[in-house]
Amino acid sequence: MHVLLVEDDALVASGIVTGLKLHGLTVDHVNCASLADTALKSSYFDVCILDLGLPDEDGISLLHRWRDQGLQLPILVLTARDALSHRITGLLGGADDYMVKPFDLLELQARLHVLTRRRAGRSKDFVEHGGLVFCASTGEVRLHGRPVSLARRELALLRALLQNPKAILSTEQLCDSVYGYEQSLESNAINVHVYHLRRKLGNNIVETVRGLGYRLGLPEKMDEL
Amino acid sequence: MSLRVRLLLIIGLGLSILWTAVAGWMFLDARQSLRDALDNRLAASARMVAGMVAQLPEPAYLSASDSRKPFDVIARDGVACEVSLLRSQITAQAIVRTAGGPDLTEAISGFGTHMYGKKRWRTYMLRQGNIQIATADSMDTREALIKELALSAGVPFLVALFGSLIMLWFCITHGIAPLERVRDILAKRKPGDDSPLAPIKAPLELQPLLNTIEQLLERLQGAILRERRFTDNAAHELRTPLTGIKTHIQVAGLAADLPDENKTLKAALGKADYGVLQLQGILDRLLSLARLDDDAVPVETSDPLEVVYTATEQLQASYPDISNRVLIKEQGVAACVNVARPLLLSATQNLIDNALRYTPGDKPIIVQITQPDTGRIRISVLDEGPGLNAHDRAHAVNRFWRRDRSVPGSGLGLSIVDAIARRHHGTFELLKRAGPGLEARMEFPI
Repeated sequence: MHVLLVEDDALVASGIVTGLKLHGLTVDHVNCASLADTALKSSYFDVCILDLGLPDEDGISLLHRWRDQGLQLPILVLTARDALSHRITGLLGGADDYMVKPFDLLELQARLHVLTRRRAGRSKDFVEHGGLVFCASTGEVRLHGRPVSLARRELALLRALLQNPKAILSTEQLCDSVYGYEQSLESNAINVHVYHLRRKLGNNIVETVRGLGYRLGLPEKMDEL
Repeated sequence: MSLRVRLLLIIGLGLSILWTAVAGWMFLDARQSLRDALDNRLAASARMVAGMVAQLPEPAYLSASDSRKPFDVIARDGVACEVSLLRSQITAQAIVRTAGGPDLTEAISGFGTHMYGKKRWRTYMLRQGNIQIATADSMDTREALIKELALSAGVPFLVALFGSLIMLWFCITHGIAPLERVRDILAKRKPGDDSPLAPIKAPLELQPLLNTIEQLLERLQGAILRERRFTDNAAHELRTPLTGIKTHIQVAGLAADLPDENKTLKAALGKADYGVLQLQGILDRLLSLARLDDDAVPVETSDPLEVVYTATEQLQASYPDISNRVLIKEQGVAACVNVARPLLLSATQNLIDNALRYTPGDKPIIVQITQPDTGRIRISVLDEGPGLNAHDRAHAVNRFWRRDRSVPGSGLGLSIVDAIARRHHGTFELLKRAGPGLEARMEFPI
């Protein structure tokens, strides 16, 4: 899951980034509204964590602006202001969820999963795909009931594919989901992760679409060799 | 008690007392006139009878014997009359008397009141030669007349009084209707409603009151807004480092469970520690502000020049190049200011620290110590940073006010400087410089 974190306080931001990364999420952090705009234009995100106290623009007005522009991204608002009126303004302004500082990291992570799950139209926490069962919040993967151990990047790749089951995802899109936009990486990095996924979950888990990118394999073909 | 009832009671009671007094006075006057008129009639009747008796030839019965009963005359207008013959100075014998009339031989000369039979009579008696003429009115008839007079004048008076009280009630209700409207509008306002007062049709005399209420509401609204902003800012400044600490501790907990994450664990603990220091800094500043709110002014003095040098020395830890950046200018000021040294040091340090934080490294910061008049010493910190606009300069001393949240700080530094200046009868101002930058100026009495 590719998360955009908009938070002006460096200490809080580094905590959230590290914590979510340990949970296998890919997090990009920006510290002001203008950088958040740039990030949204240049990259694909699954969910956004927005702090309301930003230096260059009030979080609520940013939220309004984004929703007016037709941005569909699920947004979780973080704020130190816990007055009921603030929470109502935030939710009516287009936020999908609201958490008051100081929050619990595990709860934050759980709520992010709920937001993406709701967006994908699922009401359960796990995704079934052929013989594969993927638990979105814990990152646990089982193939025909047997647990499969995946590295963090492989998990991020699988998550991105499972979230968009019929879409062709370009290498750049997958890079965004797996690495975020901050890291420079070798050109064949995604190929390597695809190779590992195929080795662990079967060749048909990922389908290569020549010249365009990758797509999640069809569930009925999962068990074919 | 409502204004309406109060007005009705005051005006109604006043009117009733006045009118009752007037009515009483008029009644007494009318009664006296009636009595006088009836008395005059009595006297006139007696005189008329006397005149008639004088013109008659002396009748035979005048010389008749004592035992004879008087002649009865039929009464016509309610006045009883008696003609008697005087036997001596004190005894008289009635010769003619109105039928059913009282025995008036004993009546006194002129007007008098007598009991004859069981009735009270008003009498008038006059003597002419040896003839005594007496007339009398029944007092009961007179009282009945007076009662009738009182009734015929009193009933309309009572009706008028009652009617005026009802009219008064309607007039007062109508007259205080604008007040009622104002009360209604104020009562309907919900707490926290920050809309201006709706226009009210009110008489001229109420306008000042309405204006005052409106101004009061505006001031109240401003105070509530400031208070809310303060709470919001305080929540943000206190909760943010707390969130940092909590998050990093949780990250450390997560990392401890994972293999190969020892580095993450250590980094998270280090950051949590940094967060604790940040929070501690804010709490220390809040505590020193709370102590400054105490009114007692200590009798201590300090040397401003020494304090400025110490402040720059102590800031060297955070800004190693401070000796190149801060220029201290003093113009032969030898006096000490009436401020405890630790407080003056804290204020000066705050101002220099602020200037260093917002000024680019190549621009100088000047600390000036001058004596604008004999009683005061001025410490000015002049920088060439971005400066503040008029609005920001006015709000900068508010607790937790921060112009730029990306620059580390607590938003309490200038509040502390301001509190120190106020407590020592000094002043603290932020001024626009002629060129770029800001002048932070403190003045303290010597």
